[in-house]
Amino acid sequence: IFGEDVAFGGVFRCTVGLRDKYGKDRVFNTPLCEQGIVGFGIGIAVTGATAIAEIQFADYIFPAFDQIVNEAAKYRYRSGDLFNCGSLTIRSPWGCVGHGALYHSQSPEAFFAHCPGIKVVIPRSPFQAKGLLLSCIEDKNPCIFFEPKILYRAAVEQVPIEPYNIPLSQAEVIQEGSDVTLVAWGTQVHVIREVASMAKEKLGVSCEVIDLRTIIPWDVDTVCKSVIKTGRLLISHEAPLTGGFASEISSTVQEECFLNLEAPISRVCGYDTPFPHIFEPFYIPDKWKCYDALRKMINY
Amino acid sequence: MAVAIAAARAWGPSRGLGRAALLALRRPGARGLARSHPHRQQQQQFSSLDDKPQFPGASAEFIDKLEFIQPNVISGIPIYRVMDRQGQIINPSEDPHLPQEKVLKFYKSMTLLNTMDRILYESQRQGRISFYMTNYGEEGTHVGSAAALDNMDLVFGQYREAGVLMYRDYPLELFMAQCYGNVSDLGKGRQMPVHYGCKERHFVTISSPLATQIPQAVGAAYAAKRANANRVVICYFGEGAASEGDAHAGFNFAATLECPIIFFCRNNGYAISTPTSEQYRGDGIAARGPGYGIISIRVDGNDVFAVYNATKEARRRAVAENQPFLIEAMTYRIGHHSTSDDSSAYRSVDEVNYWDKQDHPISRLRHYLLSRGWWDDEQEKAWRKQSRKKVMEAFEQAERKLKPNPNLLFSDVYQEMPTQLRKQQESLARHLQTYGEHYPLDHFEK
Repeated sequence: IFGEDVAFGGVFRCTVGLRDKYGKDRVFNTPLCEQGIVGFGIGIAVTGATAIAEIQFADYIFPAFDQIVNEAAKYRYRSGDLFNCGSLTIRSPWGCVGHGALYHSQSPEAFFAHCPGIKVVIPRSPFQAKGLLLSCIEDKNPCIFFEPKILYRAAVEQVPIEPYNIPLSQAEVIQEGSDVTLVAWGTQVHVIREVASMAKEKLGVSCEVIDLRTIIPWDVDTVCKSVIKTGRLLISHEAPLTGGFASEISSTVQEECFLNLEAPISRVCGYDTPFPHIFEPFYIPDKWKCYDALRKMINY
Repeated sequence: MAVAIAAARAWGPSRGLGRAALLALRRPGARGLARSHPHRQQQQQFSSLDDKPQFPGASAEFIDKLEFIQPNVISGIPIYRVMDRQGQIINPSEDPHLPQEKVLKFYKSMTLLNTMDRILYESQRQGRISFYMTNYGEEGTHVGSAAALDNMDLVFGQYREAGVLMYRDYPLELFMAQCYGNVSDLGKGRQMPVHYGCKERHFVTISSPLATQIPQAVGAAYAAKRANANRVVICYFGEGAASEGDAHAGFNFAATLECPIIFFCRNNGYAISTPTSEQYRGDGIAARGPGYGIISIRVDGNDVFAVYNATKEARRRAVAENQPFLIEAMTYRIGHHSTSDDSSAYRSVDEVNYWDKQDHPISRLRHYLLSRGWWDDEQEKAWRKQSRKKVMEAFEQAERKLKPNPNLLFSDVYQEMPTQLRKQQESLARHLQTYGEHYPLDHFEK
């Protein structure tokens, strides 16, 4: 495991103690260069060794975009399966944190969703994080694991000491319901879960809450099965609305479930602006915006 | 007395010691006392009575005169060569004394490559393959370096290193199969011609984006070091690709992470139409090495023995010392950049002819062989005929073969095919059932 400041434990303390435990040739700092970190990680993976590359903030993943999209994602395909970098996992802190502004708050999953050959995974909780991360590491395809940074401190949960896997490309219905399907990932799952409670209490509406977990390849069947049942879909993410991953979900669901829909699919997302600092409380798709959109959908 | 003792305690034992003694106090790094790593100096004791720089970032002395360092590009790093342009050994102590069999293999690899290049370039002109890149003039860089490596050494290339594969006995049939994208292509027809790859011969599949292979090669070398594999990684790139950020990244990582890697730069004078004068202002690529802390050398790339000697020594030391080496092989791109290029648009025919006629790696080696009595005109004639025949046979076979099954469009995106992709595959199959007549299905395997 390697990247900027990984050796002393990492800026979010994710790698604390690992260097002492596993040695300096396995846990080490690299120079400050994201394209190098990912390229280097690909090379390790090409030899078959497991590589876990840390990008300090998802906001800084863009220098590595070429290595991820043009190289990692295409390694197996372009070589006719002679070579691959499946044992590469890229981990990176992701999402809003209250004060991160433009460059410490981004959710770039949509950029990578458009790239066949990689997997993109986002956990909502500590228990989910361990199982999903282990699955990414063991998966035979290069994976990007985005870690909601606001949850590093805020989330507390019982996590088993032994290893366990949570399958990739499987969404989880964390709460069943009959009137409307709510889909989100990462931090936003907690927001929509609260919205589900609000809807029950104030509107008597029963919500089915889905954590997508894997952005690509995404679990179309679970989402569609739910929308066929409820007839209504609301998708929410912090990332900007236009071209955000909600648009992919929306497009596919209307193709597959058109006649089941009782209302247009609703997307409650960040605005089409860079992520602001002082205006964060206004920017984020909070529970009030989600609740309001849900109410409109119910009354459509 | 008490003051002196107190001072010694406060300032450390360096008080009162001379410079030489102070140097002895530094813990020796892996590369010796004089060049101890800046990091290790952080453990030194600080003494402001001894007016030496304490900065963690540089190991240097103070200077009180304002002096800028002038880059030296008029007389740059010298070019190592073993043979003169007539193939005669200049300094006998540098002669690698390779056996006849080996030198003949050099010659045959280079000439077979040249023959294959001519035929495949033509085949593109005739519309038989979509694209091709020749290696004219650079055969020496490929074969000299490949010959100096172990068979297991991992090769990351750019796109003009086919001679490395040729030297490793990659069959003509497979070169052609990749260019034709036929059923025999190990790459399953997915890439443009010349994007070769061979797992068996430890040659990582070529990709079009330039310089991306550089940090990857470094990672592979790091893994080889950890595995105690006794393996070096060699990474080829052109002087143009060396301008990419990935090159800078790769060099820096290799040095800081102490990787057994040979960076091999083919400086052939042009990046498509861009001459080196527009690619860089420093002393080529070799001069960048020391900036990263990398041991570097510049060689005559058209001298196969010089390339061989430099690569051999770099390999030995890279593995033994776990550090990177940079070899800049000066050469000339005699051919066009590719079949999509007509280089007469930006350079003179005279310039090209000079290199083709007066300083060609194949001719120089032929002169050497002739002067050793290891080759003659009759053998030359016979070999030209034989190699052409081999290439033509492989070519005709490649022409006749079908292309792979269109289902191979969909596999290997992931190790396992995702559900949604399988649906897309099924949708194409259904589409072809109705509209198949509009598609070149006859050329593809069923």
